[in-house]
Amino acid sequence: MTEGKRPGGLTALAVINFILFASSLLSLASFAFIPKMSTEHMNERQKAQTEAFANMDPSTRAILFASTLVTGVLLLLAGIGYLRQKKFLGRILGSVYAVVAIASSLIAALMMPPDLEGGFNLSTLIGLIYPILTLILVNTTFRDDLTN
Amino acid sequence: MNLGTLNARHIGLIALHWSRHAVRGGAGLVYLMIALVFGLTVAHAVIMPVEQLMAMQKRETGRVDPNGVNSVIVSVGRPIAGFVLGIKSIGESSGPDAPPAGPGPANPFGGVTAQAGDVELDAWTSYLLETRPALLSAIFLILVFGMPFAISFLAFNQVTGDIQSHGLRYLLLRTERGNIYFGRFLGTAAFSTAVMAILIATITLYLGLRVRIYPAAALTAWALRGFLALSFLMLPYIAVCSIISASVDSPFLSLVLAKLTIGGVLLFAVLGGLKWEGLRLVKYALPWGWQNHLLHPEPSHWLAAGLACLVYMVVFLALGYIRFETRDL
Repeated sequence: MTEGKRPGGLTALAVINFILFASSLLSLASFAFIPKMSTEHMNERQKAQTEAFANMDPSTRAILFASTLVTGVLLLLAGIGYLRQKKFLGRILGSVYAVVAIASSLIAALMMPPDLEGGFNLSTLIGLIYPILTLILVNTTFRDDLTN
Repeated sequence: MNLGTLNARHIGLIALHWSRHAVRGGAGLVYLMIALVFGLTVAHAVIMPVEQLMAMQKRETGRVDPNGVNSVIVSVGRPIAGFVLGIKSIGESSGPDAPPAGPGPANPFGGVTAQAGDVELDAWTSYLLETRPALLSAIFLILVFGMPFAISFLAFNQVTGDIQSHGLRYLLLRTERGNIYFGRFLGTAAFSTAVMAILIATITLYLGLRVRIYPAAALTAWALRGFLALSFLMLPYIAVCSIISASVDSPFLSLVLAKLTIGGVLLFAVLGGLKWEGLRLVKYALPWGWQNHLLHPEPSHWLAAGLACLVYMVVFLALGYIRFETRDL
């Protein structure tokens, strides 16, 4: 399979990967900025969320930071792999991203404080949509396109 | 228009192939993501405050009272639902005769007291919020409004990409134009219906297994009705995309025109209606003006709305087919 015959779905998958990579960069930045933010002009709910984030156990925060960083890097590499239709970068790292993202979504749901929407809820499911789709698609629909 | 060339077996094969390869083509994947993320985000925004209320109730009283929770949902949702359905403004709905607007310090779980004069006017709102599971009704009302904007991501490229690449010429050696046109419409509709089924099943299962304030039978029956309403509602919008897709040579232009048509009709009716009342009728060019009736309590209303969906679909499909049958490929 040559690069010229890349299906539109694979290109769409790569674009979504890059968008999610950018959003993971923002999440990483929030780890540094949120604890330092002034709560003066915030409403009660925002104050509670900011304080819950600032008071989070350092080890929990480190785990969440590491998982965001790892999934972000995997999203970027897999996105490049989809565009170049590479077996390792695309299919294998895409699958690794999916497994890591599913695990970190579940870990985040368990570790996040209630003020930060911790626990299993619909936002957990929203976070699982893309990893599950990725896992299915790179191993079925696009399996024969990721062979270079 | 030459309907004699239509072949049910060819249409079925093309529809099956088109729906199976929607994700591979990209449009299906983007629609799947948008529909699921939008639908679940709407559901999360509607359900999350109720979950917080239930957690507060459990903290304070040691148990969750489904009737108390439902009373709060109804009292908060009544003015909003009335506004969305166009029965009356929020100001009127939350006026002195209206039921209490929500929980207060003295009554953390609120309460509902129906006013005699409101009964007839609010029959539709009461049906959605009291007779049927209110949370699911609220989610359906938002999805009925929002999903038409998302459908063009799936339906914009039914034939236009192949017109641009001249790929249809090879397909036309084996089948007729009509089979391709109607087959791809059916494939798109089948994919959209499957996505709606996944979305509504996920939300209903979550409400049934996690929130647990409604009986399973009531949830299932209303979920089925909402699924049918959304599936039927998508048909005329997909058919509008079929006309555009058959009329232009560029997939991107087709997407832009589909977005402008679907959103523009509503925007033009709303903004034009501010200047001249008659322009409000523009919304009836698409199902915008009556699509909420798919969730109406009276069978005459929802059956008529369902039938209207099919009539609009047939008209739009016929117009697109005439264009596709006669154009240069």
